[in-house]
Amino acid sequence: MSMQRIVGVMLLFFLSEGTLFYWLLPDSMVGRIVPHFTLAFVLFAALYRGRHTALILGIAFGMLQDLAFYGRIIGVHSFTMGLVGYLTGFLLERRRSTLMMALFMICVSTLVYDTIVYFVYRVFRLTDQTFEWAVSHHIVPSVFLQILFSLAIYVPARRWFENSVSKTNTEDDEE
Amino acid sequence: MFVLMIVFILFVAVMGFSIGDRKKLTWPENFSLDSTAFVQEWIYRPAGYVSGLFKDLANLHAIYKENEELRKVAAAYARDSIKYNFMDAENKRLQEKLHFTERQKQLYNYEYKIAQVIAVNNDPYSETIRINLGSKDGIKPNMVVVTDKGLVGLVNRVDPFFSSVMPITKLSETSPDTKAIAATVLGKETESFGIVDNFHTETGKLTMSRISEHDPLAKGDTIITSGLGNVFPRGVVIGTVDSSQVGDFGLTYTATITPAADFDHLTEVFVVVQMSDMGESGQ
Repeated sequence: MSMQRIVGVMLLFFLSEGTLFYWLLPDSMVGRIVPHFTLAFVLFAALYRGRHTALILGIAFGMLQDLAFYGRIIGVHSFTMGLVGYLTGFLLERRRSTLMMALFMICVSTLVYDTIVYFVYRVFRLTDQTFEWAVSHHIVPSVFLQILFSLAIYVPARRWFENSVSKTNTEDDEE
Repeated sequence: MFVLMIVFILFVAVMGFSIGDRKKLTWPENFSLDSTAFVQEWIYRPAGYVSGLFKDLANLHAIYKENEELRKVAAAYARDSIKYNFMDAENKRLQEKLHFTERQKQLYNYEYKIAQVIAVNNDPYSETIRINLGSKDGIKPNMVVVTDKGLVGLVNRVDPFFSSVMPITKLSETSPDTKAIAATVLGKETESFGIVDNFHTETGKLTMSRISEHDPLAKGDTIITSGLGNVFPRGVVIGTVDSSQVGDFGLTYTATITPAADFDHLTEVFVVVQMSDMGESGQ
């Protein structure tokens, strides 16, 4: 699958986050289970394609999230998604991760992502909740959703990203 | 390493710049806001209808009861509307006699513009609600957004065809980008005053502070916006008083308020537009 197709699929998931998925959640879970569908794709890109792809995808889709829902601040998700994607790729892009390894990395990276997002909001004084509260209120519940979602898309996502490498292998080697 | 530093500084600059009031957005912002909203609109509404259908089926019994109550309200409304007509005519006559200007007459005349919700941000620190009215429809920042039950939020970003609403669950005394709403008690409008400026996420309650010692505010009272200051319209229901206690420094009182409106799974909201505002924006 080419990169354009993957971006298309990611766009669809991005659009469903604030609309379709929002309606699937019961009232009590709104704001507690936060979908990170695009982040999951960015992390798969980091694991099976390379850190630079993950960085670019992360910055682009983070920026999309920031701009499409511009309410308080621009740049939080862009910065964090790019950073987390790059770091994950930096650690693991050379190895071919197994299913367990991939899920574990996605779990850890999502936690890191949510932590950084929390502290950015905290630094700009846009939230006055404590970190412990944020962890128990939405960070941990969201990780469960993220694991389930990654498990569901693991097979297709891995195939797509690995196939996209083999076609453009020569370009990647220069980096 | 150097590149990383520059990127980091750049991001911090963008973040700092994007907080707070901005009258106009740049074209890339407008473009991405409008184009994504356009697509989201086509997903959110059908999903909402389907989900609403299931909820309605479950609520059939409740609707019967609601109907009974609505009949009683309708009877009361008929009586009140006669009284209102007399008072309105009297008020108009007095305004003419006192030579009110056109702007003063229109000050408390509001139009409720219906808007469809098209998407909701899942980010728990900035739960922006996107609605399908924009600057082309005369929407401006700081306009109040309500449902039939009460105050939902304030418009904080406006692009040509859509706008973003910050729910009042994001009100905070310490944040640099939130507002404080002047409020009073329904039925005691002249004696009561306080400022709604904080929402406790943990308890789900609003705080109304700076209430005077001699204030007649009591448990169970309905809190409405007072319209003093003319930034927000008056008479919008905020919630009911839960409890009232002595505030910081012991000089004023602080009341805890249960918000009247639901914030989850909204489909339609109203934007309150001041008629005197509309005149200016038409030019």
